[in-house]
Amino acid sequence: MEGGRRDGIPISIEELNKLKSIAEKARRNVVKMLFYDQTIHVGSSLSSIEILTTLLFRYVREGKDPINRDWLILSKGHAAPALYAILVEKGYINEDELWKIQDISGLLQGHPEIHIPGIDMSTGSLGQGLSFGVGVAQGIKMRGGSGRVFVIMGDGEQDEGEIWEAMTHAVTRKLDNLIAFIEMNGFQLDAATSEVKPKDFLPDVWRAVGWKTLSCDGHDFISLINTIEEALKAKAPVVIFAKTRRGMGFKPIENTEKQRASPDDAKKYLTNA
Amino acid sequence: MMQRSTLPMRDTFGRLLADLGEKNKDIIVITADVGNSTRAMYFRERFPDRYFNVGISEQDMVNFAAGLSVTGYKPIVVGFAMFVMRAWEQIRNSIARMNLDVKIMVTHAGYSDSGDGSSHQSLEDIALMRVLPNMKVIIPADSADVKRSLPVVVNELRGPLYYRMGRDYTPVITEGLDYDFKLGKAYVLKDGDDLAIMGAGVVLADALKAAEELEKMGISTAVINLMSIKPIDEDLIEYYARKTGRIITIEEHSIYGGIGSAVAEVLVKKYPVPMRFIGATTFGRSARSERDLLDYYGINYKSIINAAMELVK
Repeated sequence: MEGGRRDGIPISIEELNKLKSIAEKARRNVVKMLFYDQTIHVGSSLSSIEILTTLLFRYVREGKDPINRDWLILSKGHAAPALYAILVEKGYINEDELWKIQDISGLLQGHPEIHIPGIDMSTGSLGQGLSFGVGVAQGIKMRGGSGRVFVIMGDGEQDEGEIWEAMTHAVTRKLDNLIAFIEMNGFQLDAATSEVKPKDFLPDVWRAVGWKTLSCDGHDFISLINTIEEALKAKAPVVIFAKTRRGMGFKPIENTEKQRASPDDAKKYLTNA
Repeated sequence: MMQRSTLPMRDTFGRLLADLGEKNKDIIVITADVGNSTRAMYFRERFPDRYFNVGISEQDMVNFAAGLSVTGYKPIVVGFAMFVMRAWEQIRNSIARMNLDVKIMVTHAGYSDSGDGSSHQSLEDIALMRVLPNMKVIIPADSADVKRSLPVVVNELRGPLYYRMGRDYTPVITEGLDYDFKLGKAYVLKDGDDLAIMGAGVVLADALKAAEELEKMGISTAVINLMSIKPIDEDLIEYYARKTGRIITIEEHSIYGGIGSAVAEVLVKKYPVPMRFIGATTFGRSARSERDLLDYYGINYKSIINAAMELVK
């Protein structure tokens, strides 16, 4: 299936099933990566699978011209395994590379790097993707290009001060070609987000600052597609609060602060699924 | 002889940057609410559409510039040296790591923001910038050096680059000298056989004054304008180490990790000679002038002469 350039086209059952099967394959591959490296961020990756699948297989328009293509910035760079697994489905990366993730001889780094095919920004340090996205979106507008910028952030990431700097900046520039996702999975590194710093007020703040604020179920393709379609029509920068579950679909860690599980747990998942 | 002052470097810089914007439509200037103080305002006056004040948000400024650069623009981030360092991690992880064509041009470096005191005095930035892979570091000595280097830096050099200037204190150092700026090249301001003083920036005025005094004492002293701190001119440094056998470095910056350290790194590999390091070892303090601070902390010609006496004894 071709990715991108499907704005406004109603989804067919066939396409929906295809997206589901891509996401399921990517989910299994993320869990399978656990066999090879137990330090990857499985929980955060599984939380992002459907959002990345939807964007890369339905909306992101690829191309060499930097102002007439779309950009995908994974600001929550620790979810790199999910992005890699989907880039395998897109044909950018050989599947064999997944099993060498974080290996000294491998292509795939623990966090995204632009030398990896299909990666638009080197990330890993939280809070930086949105500012970069504002710059890309502004550059596209100044040059009269048609490109759009999608930035994916985590809820824990919202603690970073640079997000505030960028959030207010995007509104000043009236960047209606910028769509940000905030994944609300409820956990950050040490504990639940509610224990570390409150996050419930975030939609109110983003709205008050001037963003068009939408919300969706980040694991439901129909919900995601309907919300993105609405976002694409907006005349302001849009933020989509996507409710997700950390470790979605992988019971040993689902909806917990755990990022990792044992290879045995991974084996059980892969053989039972 | 402390030479007459000229147009402050920040003014020369601001005017020239605006001139460069005339021919190169890809230049974009970005500041964090210091457009007036840095003289980026001259660019704003002529090209308001290519000038962005992002507000008091240096981290956003750096990554905004990074994003603009991938759409083919040439962003120039202009700020106070100290506060751009607030976004050092952004400079490292976005600009240097992705090797993006973003220039970081700072004013108010060293003690030059004399009145504001230690919070505003940037004495660590050279060390922080030169440690980054892909980053180039350029330090003009005076307005003439700005005129020589800025067009080359903006129009010809690709990739991350740090360009460091002060606020007002701008003694004439290189005016009238016949040389072109070239990345990685140092310049001989004065030749000599017994001792070489190496440094960059306004403190080279003190180096020249010290050299003059030392000549009167029969010590033939060379003065080298390093200007391109990274890459650094290893050949010229080695040549003068071999020729004179003694090196003094001077910098308006910490002696830990700065220009003296860069010279020492070269000499340890190529031709070790006795050295003395003149520069900061503490945080600064408020003063009515940059000159007062340089004298207070002993970053001046007297310290050079004392160090020279030790070395030649």
